[in-house]
Formats: sequence, C-alpha cells, structure tokens
Amino acid sequence: MSIQVRGLSKRFGGYTAVRSLDFDIADGEFFVLLGPSGCGKTTTLRMIAGLDVPNDGLVRIRGRDVTYAEPRHRDIAMVFQDYGLYPNMTVFKNIEFPLKVRKVTPPERRQKVLATAERLGIADLLDRKPAKISGGQRQRVSLARALVRNPHVFLMDEPLSNLDAKLRATMRTEIKQLVANLGITTVYVTHDQVEAMSMADRIGIMSKGDMIQIGKPLDVYDNPRSRFVAQFMGSPPMNLFPLHFSSERKIECKLQPFADALPESQLTRAQDLAGSGLSFLLGVRPEHLSVVPPSTAGAVEAEIDFVEPLGQTTNLHVHSNATPFTIVAGRTSARAGQTVGVAADPAHLRVVEDDPRPA
Amino acid sequence: MQVNRRSVAIKRRINAAVAYVLALLAVAFFALPLFWIALSSVKSDADVSAYPPVWFFEPTLANFRELFVKLNAWDALLNSVFIVCISTILAMMLGTMAAYALARFSIRGKESVALQVLSIRMMPSIVSVIPLFIIARELGVFDTPWLLIVIYALNGLPFVVWVMRVFIQDVPKSIEEAAMIDGCGRYEVFLRITLPLVVPGLAAVLVIIFMFSWNEYLFASMLTSSEAKTLPVVAANAIKPKAIAWGLSSAAAVVMSLPVIILVLSAQRYLVRGLTLGAVKG
Repeated sequence: MSIQVRGLSKRFGGYTAVRSLDFDIADGEFFVLLGPSGCGKTTTLRMIAGLDVPNDGLVRIRGRDVTYAEPRHRDIAMVFQDYGLYPNMTVFKNIEFPLKVRKVTPPERRQKVLATAERLGIADLLDRKPAKISGGQRQRVSLARALVRNPHVFLMDEPLSNLDAKLRATMRTEIKQLVANLGITTVYVTHDQVEAMSMADRIGIMSKGDMIQIGKPLDVYDNPRSRFVAQFMGSPPMNLFPLHFSSERKIECKLQPFADALPESQLTRAQDLAGSGLSFLLGVRPEHLSVVPPSTAGAVEAEIDFVEPLGQTTNLHVHSNATPFTIVAGRTSARAGQTVGVAADPAHLRVVEDDPRPA
Repeated sequence: MQVNRRSVAIKRRINAAVAYVLALLAVAFFALPLFWIALSSVKSDADVSAYPPVWFFEPTLANFRELFVKLNAWDALLNSVFIVCISTILAMMLGTMAAYALARFSIRGKESVALQVLSIRMMPSIVSVIPLFIIARELGVFDTPWLLIVIYALNGLPFVVWVMRVFIQDVPKSIEEAAMIDGCGRYEVFLRITLPLVVPGLAAVLVIIFMFSWNEYLFASMLTSSEAKTLPVVAANAIKPKAIAWGLSSAAAVVMSLPVIILVLSAQRYLVRGLTLGAVKG
C-alpha cells in the first residue's frame, strides 16, 4: 500500500475543513480527490504533502508514519495550481533545484535535467526564466521539476485549472500517460469531474470535509451513493425524483412508470434506506432516457420546454407532472412545446440516498 | 495620409524634446546645491565668502587639510565606517529574520509585536538621549563604538522589519512550499528561495538605514567625546564661535557624501525596483 490515511481531520479555528477521512491508495494508482471548492480536497492533499499538520489522524507513506514529518522527508513531489516556479531561476535551474538540494553531483544533475526536459518537450526552453514562457510551458516545467528526482508519490493540486480549455484537454492525456508510464502513485486534486473521470483509476468524492464515496470512475458514475454525487458527476447531471413508500408499502413517485420499472435490487436498497429512516430518490442519467411515441406502455408523457443541440448529442429539457428533467438524445427533430413519451432503461434506474438537509 | 503621418512624427519628437528639457531642469534643480558644495570645498575662505560668487578661482585643498590634519577626520571616518557597517548589518540580519517570522508564521499576537517594534521609533531621540547617556556611563560603554552600534541597529530595526515584511508577504507562498517539497528545510527556504526574491527590497532598505546612521548627529555628539567620534560630529566643527566655516563645512560634506554615493551607485540596479516598495509585481 502506497498511502494510508486514517481518521484524518483538520480544523481551522471552529471550522472543520476535513472530517475523519479513511482511505488507502495502492502502489502506482492514480487517485483523484474530487469535489467543489471548499470541500477539503486541497487541505487533504496538503496534509499528505506535509504542508499542513492534521489535528487528528495519521498519514502513512509506504507504511511509514509521516503524519508529522517535514515534506522533504516524505519522498513526494508536488505540482501546484499556480506552478510555484522560482521566478529568479532559469527553467534549467528550476528543474535542477530538487537535485541540487539533495546534493546530487553536477554531471548527474545535468544529465537528469536534460532527460526530463526532453521527455516533457521543453528542452529548448532551458535558458529562459519562467516569466518568459507560456502557461502550458510553465506547467510542463513544474511537472519536470516534480518528476526529475523520481519521487515515490506524486501530488497534484488542480494543475490544469489555469490553462485554457483546449490545452487542458491535451495536458490531461499527457499527464495521464506520463504517470502511467512511470508507474508513480499519484494523488490528483480537481473540481472538474471530466478530469476526474478521464484520468482516475479511482475517485474519492468529497463534500464539506467528508469523503462521500470512493470508487472506480464508472462505478461512481453508475452507482452514485447520494444526491450530491449524482448531481456532481455527469453533465447534465443525473435526474432525481423524490421516491417514497405509500401506506400500502407500495413505492411511489411523481413519475410512477419509472418507479414501477425499478429492478429488484434497487427496491431492496430503497427498503433498506427506508428502514434506516433515510429519505431517498429515484435517479436516472439523462442518456438512459429515450424519446418514444406518446402513450407507449411504460413511458412517461412529457412536454418539451427547450432543445439544446450540441452537435453530437441534443439536450432536451422537458417536464412531466410538474417535474422538470433532462434527456440526452441523438440528433432529433423534436421541438419545444411538443408532447412526447419518455422511456427509461430499467437496468439504469437507481435508488439514490438523499443528502441530509442542512440544519 | 503622408502629411498626417509626418505631422504625428513631428509632434512625437516635440513631446520628447519637452520631456528632456523638463528632466534636465529637474536634475539641475537637485544637483546644483551638490555642485555648489563640491565647488566650495576647494575654495579658499576668501573665495567662499566673495559676493557676487566667483566661478573661476585658484582651487585649494586647505579645507581638506584642516579636516584631516587638524580635526582628525580620518579617525572619525574609520569610526563611522565601522559603527555604521556593523549596525547596518545587525539591523538587516535581525530585522529581515524578524520580518520573515512576522510575515509567515502564525504567532499569537504578532500584530502587537509588530507595533511594539515600530514603537521604538515613536519616541523622539532627544527624549532618550539623556537616559541613554546615564545608562552608558553606568555600564562603562560611554564613548565606545559598541554603544552607537547598538543604538543605530535598534533605530534601523523597525524600518527593516516593517518594509521587509511587506516584501516577504509579496512572495507567493506556493514558491516556498515548492521548495519545501523539493527538499529544503525552513532555513534553506529562507536563504535559498525567499531572500534572493526580495533582494530589491533588501537593497533599498539597506541604503536607507545606512544613511540614517551615517548622518546621525544627536546620539553621536552626546554619547561620544573623543574615541568613538563619528564624521557628523567632526563636521559640526565647521560651526565656529564667530562664524560658519563654509569651505570646511563643504569639504566635510563632500567626504561624508562619497561613501553614500558609492553605495547607492553599486546598489542602483536593485534600487529602482526596490523603491517602488513591491508595488510592481514581476
């Protein structure tokens, strides 16, 4: 096991930033901490890095308790959101710095810097200062500086958020490939669910200092544990409809045909949640809904409010029984105002736990 | 179009010319007194007091001779250099480290600590000079360089702390954190990363506190008598019982200005950026 986190908590004054986290990260795994800003994901990363000291709990790296160790004694490297390059040093010196501090001999330093720069395609920038290169190039320099000394763990704090959309997409694949080739354990913090989905081996979703769900990207996407995860993952987010048991123990929903189609496993889950006194919802991803002729059996009748053609797909915003929801369809001739039938793929209907209402 | 373009070019040239003339006037305004002092320092007593002023005269080194031979200015110069250099280095070292602590660490009540440091400068020197005189005599340090070194260092300290704190706060934290991850401890971060980034600030602060101490007269005159006399005290000898010896005074002014000018010129590269007090971010 590469990283173990146990009961990790951090408070700033009276505010709890991170509440009792437990998770393990395997050797060579790409682990993404995902969540909206202020959810505690960066604080968690900083505690793994040793830049913040936790109030409770412990962090182990390669089995060694490093909870209170200085960052330099943890065998980690980190890429910062604003890159954290040394502005007074050239690109070469920036990449060389971690080796210099660790007293690597000059010829070996030179050789490693050149090799790393070559690998990241910044070999022609070595004489420039960080202020004289572009954002994407700075990002590469900061990656090179992190990689040059071959750390055991690689930490990244929203490394792509300062880049424009197109560059972000390229760098995303590049980082993923680079890290996969090197086989370095990586903890990656982001608020971008697309980044998380596309890069992660496993995702840990955080909200308000709590770890809500940990799992493989598609598992989390397909089986969100709670309303928060269901709506945070996916764009447009999962459609959620309130669900409850009637006095005759029958499951009821405003869109009853969907509730009737719930598979057995999901019904059991609903019963379990109801048994624990928790409220829950019926969830279905917009792409698992399809437009069918009105009054098809098992379909819901809905009116289209507006149509968003995106080229590859089309978002249909509809409502039925005063409940708005979204359908992702292919090319369609459907127009606003039209009444259509909406069918759900029963295999993809989910029972999702509602988040506790804020007190 | 052609005409238009030419008229724009002419206008631009006129503007540049006006700017140059104004700049020259400003330089003349500030430089003339200095030039006049330099000129007066090599005039004889008769030429100095001549009216209207004479521009062409027999230059003489009599004033410098009096300064160095009769008034022992050489000893005073050495005293000044010794006292001011040591006190400036002390204030810079202690002050910058204190500034770093106040800028970066969470210390209980650090704002009030910062104010306490500043309060050293709130008391007028004239109020503290008599107690200091008595203390110095009791401790047996009266008329020694060490007394002035401590006083000047303490005087410079608040300025160093307050200005350097702002400069250090301007260094992004992530740069220091990157260095810590790259393998530095706190001291290494401070010495290898933060200090090089605040060199412009260090240069500006150094020049300013050097000048404070170099020109300081009140403490120097009250707390020394012969052994630890500094240059400003010697220069004051130009005020004679019956009149002011302008030639001598000018010679002293020239001798006193030279080290400062040399210091400023050698630090000039950093000063331009430093004197904007971190307003312009690189």
